[in-house]
Amino acid sequence: MSGALEAFGHELHEVDLAEIRATLGTPAQGAFDKITDHLDENCLRFLAHSPFCCLATVGADGACDCSPRGDYPGFVRVLDERTVAIPDRVGNKLADSMQNIAATGRIGILSFVPGMTETLRINGRAMVTNDPTVLAMLEQDHSVPDLAIVVRTEQVYLHCGRAILRAGLWDAEMQDLADEVPPAGRIWASMSGLDEEVGDEIGRGVGLAYRKLY
Amino acid sequence: MLPLVVSSIDRQTPSIVSVVLEHPDREQLPDWKAGAHIDVQLVTRHERQYSLCGDPADARRYRIAVSRAELSRGASHYVHEFLRVGSRVHVRPPRNLFELGPAERYLLVAAGIGITPMLAMARELDARGEPFTLVYLVRDESEVAFGDELAEWGDRVRVHSGASDGRLDLAGMLAGLDPGTAVYACGPARFSDALSAAEAGGVLPAGCSLHLERFEPVQRETLPDEAFTVVCAESDITLQVYPDTSMLVALSQAGIELPASCRRGVCGTCVVPLLDGAAEHRDSLGADAASGVVYPCVSRAPGGTLTLGI
Repeated sequence: MSGALEAFGHELHEVDLAEIRATLGTPAQGAFDKITDHLDENCLRFLAHSPFCCLATVGADGACDCSPRGDYPGFVRVLDERTVAIPDRVGNKLADSMQNIAATGRIGILSFVPGMTETLRINGRAMVTNDPTVLAMLEQDHSVPDLAIVVRTEQVYLHCGRAILRAGLWDAEMQDLADEVPPAGRIWASMSGLDEEVGDEIGRGVGLAYRKLY
Repeated sequence: MLPLVVSSIDRQTPSIVSVVLEHPDREQLPDWKAGAHIDVQLVTRHERQYSLCGDPADARRYRIAVSRAELSRGASHYVHEFLRVGSRVHVRPPRNLFELGPAERYLLVAAGIGITPMLAMARELDARGEPFTLVYLVRDESEVAFGDELAEWGDRVRVHSGASDGRLDLAGMLAGLDPGTAVYACGPARFSDALSAAEAGGVLPAGCSLHLERFEPVQRETLPDEAFTVVCAESDITLQVYPDTSMLVALSQAGIELPASCRRGVCGTCVVPLLDGAAEHRDSLGADAASGVVYPCVSRAPGGTLTLGI
């Protein structure tokens, strides 16, 4: 892959902030006006119907991480107009997000509602908690999470739908794309230096494990 | 599941709303009797059981009432905050695990949101011309739901407010029953536990019976969650249920998908015939060695083998 850049015969020019602004221009005041610091009625309704979000966090060394969270719609539970709680469900225990939050207390959330082209962005301060009251509210299918992330909102805004429209993200027919990607078991096997047969075995095992989600 | 639409929402008390569901084309709904409940699945896919509290004679409407749980796990919060007239829900047809049996007279006892099945029972007994008394326990007068409907029955309904009347002596109430009284009661766990304890203490006069509907799991000591074996006689599958997995999930992993709803041993949706083996019944529906069924969402057989008729 690295060969492709070399084939250009020159180094990439890095554009600095001034040049970015010169290229894109300045956003209209309306773009800023849409940004608030709390969740209004419409945002509450958005989150109540959202089963999926991506969490962006940053570690003490500045290294970033972005990871998916999905659950029953409304799993990002609003505690008040400036506070939400997110359950930590069964995972691989790497806990990248939690580790980053414990180190820096920063988070960016991008929430989706299937079929809706706009997404809700929430940026703010986060902490990890094991408060029994919060955890009790996040029980699902008889399973209470061990930990939850509590977020104090600083920026809340609805992101326009062009990205999802361009992607055709909610078009069922776009799912034929997945047929062209190797199954997860093979990807994991390859990345772990194992052969395809082991990958297929991993795939079968994970298929069974996926039946226990809570 | 029946696709239904919310046709009205009425605030009954600061913490209870009643919700009427209808078929979008006003089609007739499956019939039911007092004590029946439906499983309601919200658009969020949260599924919960609610006793029907409307009029069984009205074949076009189901009415339920939803209390906002202090620490809502999602559903009651959703119903109170986001459900609106026109919202779509999916409903499993009514099932009745709390049917009125024959008796000379009836005492209905409701605590809090437990009024819902009792309202339907009072209506049915009234229609049949049978003698009943309804005792309705609330923390204070503001928590009385369906007050206008209860008023129809005059002094056959007695509201007991903890704030003004103090604590009701449930054991004393049971001890003082006329012979031949059937007691039907529904309320939170502490209320049900108090009634069960009084019954176990032998206070019920001869010829009286106590029937409880629980909407919270019975808290009980259980054996450790050891692994056990399940033989599915009809599908010829044998599987192991490991300590960290329920029988319901293990069956699903083996390709046997059962309908399930509460997953807490309360609703009875996942019931399966138990052909052989000693189950440790952990449900709140009263399954025992004689009932011939087991609820795989909670029950186990530590170290043993269960043969199921599936």
